[in-house]
Amino acid sequence: MTSAKSAKRIDDINNKNDRTNREGLRGWLNPIIYGWERVSYWFQRLTGIFLLVYFIGHVYETSSLVSGPDAWAAMLEMTQTIGGHIFLILVIGASTLHTVNGIRLIFTQSGQGLGKPGRPDYPYDPTSVNNKQRSGLWIAFILAAVAMLYGANVLFSGE
Amino acid sequence: MTSDSIKNNNRNKNNSKNTTQWFSNITLLRESQIMKIHYITGVGALFVVAIHIMMRLIMPFNMSLEFENVILNYKNVFYALLLESILILIAIHGFNGLRVILLEIRQTQIWERAVNILVIVAMIGIIAYGTRTIIIANGFSLG
Repeated sequence: MTSAKSAKRIDDINNKNDRTNREGLRGWLNPIIYGWERVSYWFQRLTGIFLLVYFIGHVYETSSLVSGPDAWAAMLEMTQTIGGHIFLILVIGASTLHTVNGIRLIFTQSGQGLGKPGRPDYPYDPTSVNNKQRSGLWIAFILAAVAMLYGANVLFSGE
Repeated sequence: MTSDSIKNNNRNKNNSKNTTQWFSNITLLRESQIMKIHYITGVGALFVVAIHIMMRLIMPFNMSLEFENVILNYKNVFYALLLESILILIAIHGFNGLRVILLEIRQTQIWERAVNILVIVAMIGIIAYGTRTIIIANGFSLG
């Protein structure tokens, strides 16, 4: 780095209104260093956005009821395909993961399962990132997989 | 620049400052309260959505989605109220979640206000649209 550039960088850092160090979406999506907790952070947000989009679509889809049986059948036909079934299975998985991980987050935010605060010693592993938290995340993944299997069975067997 | 125009400029600046202060003084809910609402609506939605899904599974899935069956569900006042509660709970939870995500990405006063307004308008819009379906389907005549 040239001296002019480094001087500018120092000026930028010293400037109170400087926001160039914000990584934005790139930082939001970066899983490196942060581990499974960052993956959980991603999944909670991505499944949340996906479910919100589905919710809006579902409200629109069910509004075809008011146009009579033909409109309802035409709308329903869209979901009665393999692609439609796979989409619904993804919705089932996303909603289960979002729910179970969300319950874990409610407990975490109320201070449950975070461990006791201690002196920061090498290798500086935070007590809050512990097996209780990680097992909560794994339970969320396992339950989501089970729910998806059950959903696939119901949708593809037609029962 | 004349002294009059300087005075006018200062007056305009003061006016806009006062308006900005007036807007920023409006705090309907603190973030901690909003997050409590987020958690309560999330847990509430879990129960009502579970009932909603179970209603689809009490008979063969394909049969439960037949027009007559779905209309019968909507004609049941308790089920219609359940659908309305799902609509409200998920709209609040979902759009507040979107708001949280958007505010994490960027933090400026204009952005925050724009996101808040957009989210509230979208929330009201989807609740109104869904309620319209519930009301019409509830009074729908098959004959």
